[in-house]
Amino acid sequence: MTPIIELKDVSTVYEGERRPAIRDINLTLERGEFAYVIGPNAAGKTTLLETINGLLPIFKGRIQVLNLDVKRYGRKVRCQIGYVPQDFMVDPGEPYTALDVVLMGRYGNIGVIGRPSREDKERAIEAMRLLEIEDLANKPIGKLSGGQQQKVMIARAIAKEPKILLLDEPFSNLDPESRDKISKLIAQISGENNLTTIIVTHDLHQIVDSCSRTIVMNSGRIIADCEPRKALAIIEKWNLSDFRRRNG
Amino acid sequence: MIYLEYAVFQRALLGCIFIGLLGGLIGVFVVKMRLSTIGYSMSHSAFAGAALGVALSIDPLITAIIFSAATAVFIGPAADKARLPVDTITSIAFSLNMALAFIFLTFSPQIGLSSEVASVLWGSIVSITNRDLVYLIALCSVTLALIYLFWKELFTIMFDRRMAEADGINTKPFIYFMIFLTGIVVALSLKLVGGLLVYALLFNPSSSALQYLHDMRKIIFLSPIIGAASCIAGFFTSLFLDIPVGSCIALISTLIFAFSVIFSPKRRRRWKNEG
Repeated sequence: MTPIIELKDVSTVYEGERRPAIRDINLTLERGEFAYVIGPNAAGKTTLLETINGLLPIFKGRIQVLNLDVKRYGRKVRCQIGYVPQDFMVDPGEPYTALDVVLMGRYGNIGVIGRPSREDKERAIEAMRLLEIEDLANKPIGKLSGGQQQKVMIARAIAKEPKILLLDEPFSNLDPESRDKISKLIAQISGENNLTTIIVTHDLHQIVDSCSRTIVMNSGRIIADCEPRKALAIIEKWNLSDFRRRNG
Repeated sequence: MIYLEYAVFQRALLGCIFIGLLGGLIGVFVVKMRLSTIGYSMSHSAFAGAALGVALSIDPLITAIIFSAATAVFIGPAADKARLPVDTITSIAFSLNMALAFIFLTFSPQIGLSSEVASVLWGSIVSITNRDLVYLIALCSVTLALIYLFWKELFTIMFDRRMAEADGINTKPFIYFMIFLTGIVVALSLKLVGGLLVYALLFNPSSSALQYLHDMRKIIFLSPIIGAASCIAGFFTSLFLDIPVGSCIALISTLIFAFSVIFSPKRRRRWKNEG
């Protein structure tokens, strides 16, 4: 099978810093693979996602996504990635409706000068319907709760009809019921569309139920890449205290 | 309204309307793309350029446009190259331009605060020529056409530049384009409002419009209207009280902003909710 995401000896350094935020990462994901990334704070999980979609330039190594070199074709690659950033909060006075924000997810694929078509709007509303937020479509996004804003960002990623989903703590502001529901929905959408999916999470219960592959990170390195139960045992063994504290 | 029988005042009024519309329109992008210090920097680079024009006894508009365009072209790439926030680079450009402006004014062949020097500093109603009006109308048309064409990209970048990048939009050219456009608008507004107050036209109308509405498409219409209204009111206040037009426009647009903050329906609703 052809790998969809392939990182070879990748290191990323933030501007003005000497120590790489992730180092010597080797990772391959094939079409339709579903993986969770777990690890304590500052393990490099967010950096890993932003390196894959080319938002952060790499310092060393090589990344290929969808058979394209991310360094050269970053923009083209990003058009095929549905991305939800960590803790994305909007100012209460922000003059955009929830539908505006979901529809933006499709803009990269429309091309410069092009206008969103009726189909683009239908896809955006469909994504909102899947997340059960279609009644919020015309509400200002700044007026929505943290959980509702998070659902809007997930809808934005899904409305894009991407080939890859990169979700950074997408459930952090959701109540347990919504978390389970949306986690199942994402698994279902990924399965039906054969999407390659990476989700960064702190929620250990989530991974045991819904994925086949878990990547454990610590101090900018991948310390394990295995099935969920094994990953939990590794976390226990490595005594990743901060991580354990967060999961009680 | 006896003044409006004279061509010079008719021209000035038309100039006020177009400058107000342009400042209000571009101001929304400047504020929402967080390019505020660029507004300051541009106005002072135009000011330095105009001062050079006065010192060399050539048309200050031409030198103001050249200075603004040069600063606009320099700021974006310099910030990228130096890996510093755009705001840091604009702050450096700001002090450089102010220093140059005062040096150029010192070398001006005209004595003290002659009408031309004064016009560069705080604007003048009588300085708007037919040629300026043609430039303003042309700039208005080009700006509207470009905003219409690239609305989708600008709309997304104004929401969040990083998310726009994540969606595959190349944000850099749009940011540079907006910086450049700001420079040209500032240079053309300089004669009326003056180099020290021109940025009031960029920030006050757009910040006022943002107090009222939740829809960016409506804000894009309201902000130029507030800009034009501030300029028209400033124009008449300046005529009747015989004080500099730039100061009048800046004062009135600030009053509108203060009124908007106090009576903003957005804020009232928030207070009610918190109460």
